[in-house]
Amino acid sequence: MSSTPSPALSGFPRRTLLAASAAGLALLVSGCTSGTAQGPDAVTSKQETAFDAQVATQKALVAAYSAAGAADPELKAAVADLATQAGEQLTALIAAAPGATTSSAASTSAAAVGPDARGWLREQVAAAATSHATACLGQTGARAALLGSIAAGLRGQDETLA
Amino acid sequence: MADGNGALSLHTENDALRAALAAEHVAVWGYGVVGGALGPDKRATAAASENAHRDVRDKVTALLVDRKVDPVREQAAYTLPFPVLSAVDAAALGVVLEDGAAAAWVRVLDQATERSTRQLAVGMLSATEIRAVGWRGAAGKKPVTSALPGLPKK
Repeated sequence: MSSTPSPALSGFPRRTLLAASAAGLALLVSGCTSGTAQGPDAVTSKQETAFDAQVATQKALVAAYSAAGAADPELKAAVADLATQAGEQLTALIAAAPGATTSSAASTSAAAVGPDARGWLREQVAAAATSHATACLGQTGARAALLGSIAAGLRGQDETLA
Repeated sequence: MADGNGALSLHTENDALRAALAAEHVAVWGYGVVGGALGPDKRATAAASENAHRDVRDKVTALLVDRKVDPVREQAAYTLPFPVLSAVDAAALGVVLEDGAAAAWVRVLDQATERSTRQLAVGMLSATEIRAVGWRGAAGKKPVTSALPGLPKK
């Protein structure tokens, strides 16, 4: 299939990522943001405020999964993995924005869901993805990477819910 | 994660774009393998993925050339991570290709200074994840979605 020696297809992109910059990204995912960009790229208060807002957006999405599940038990089972991943995304955001952890959890009543729970949930997922992607543009470094990754993850969820 | 003084710059951004271009070269090549292992009914999906990566490759190449940065050239061939002998293997390779591209585009987001570059990267990252969802399903992987595409697993 290929001449020898050939560049290894497996793992080269991830290895590239890990070798050069994953220190900062891995620290971000694990909740230690001190590894993010320094000096001219230090996070401004405006960026911090904007990032914290994305924590609220994600909390609302997690609440939307709960509400949709309460309104439609079959849907709850079908989207259990997606709901878990939305929670993982929220955990990563909170870890990267310790100042945002004190705000109360969002809640959405099952009554707000309406008769088409799946369609309603899909709208919430798509809106959150757009919000994170837009916010990503105003951030730099590991925070931009995290928001972009979450936005992409939610686009994948949107695809699955279609 | 940046220049010697820790700052992001156009240099760090261009380096990340070159790495993304390398990933796109791999994807274009790899989808040739994927398509060859799929039946006629699924081959169009591989072709669409290949075309999408080819378009991105051309866009990034043009961007780097415009910046007078030497773009990464494609290799003649790459070593496959596993034998691709069935449609399931092909789908699993599709997942590898998209996950590789996702990692490269996350790195661009991490290293970029230009808002327009972040806009490009977040769009590419989302597109790779949407394709990856399809390939994970075809490969029988669960879940088919990823919480944090392109980021290192904890």
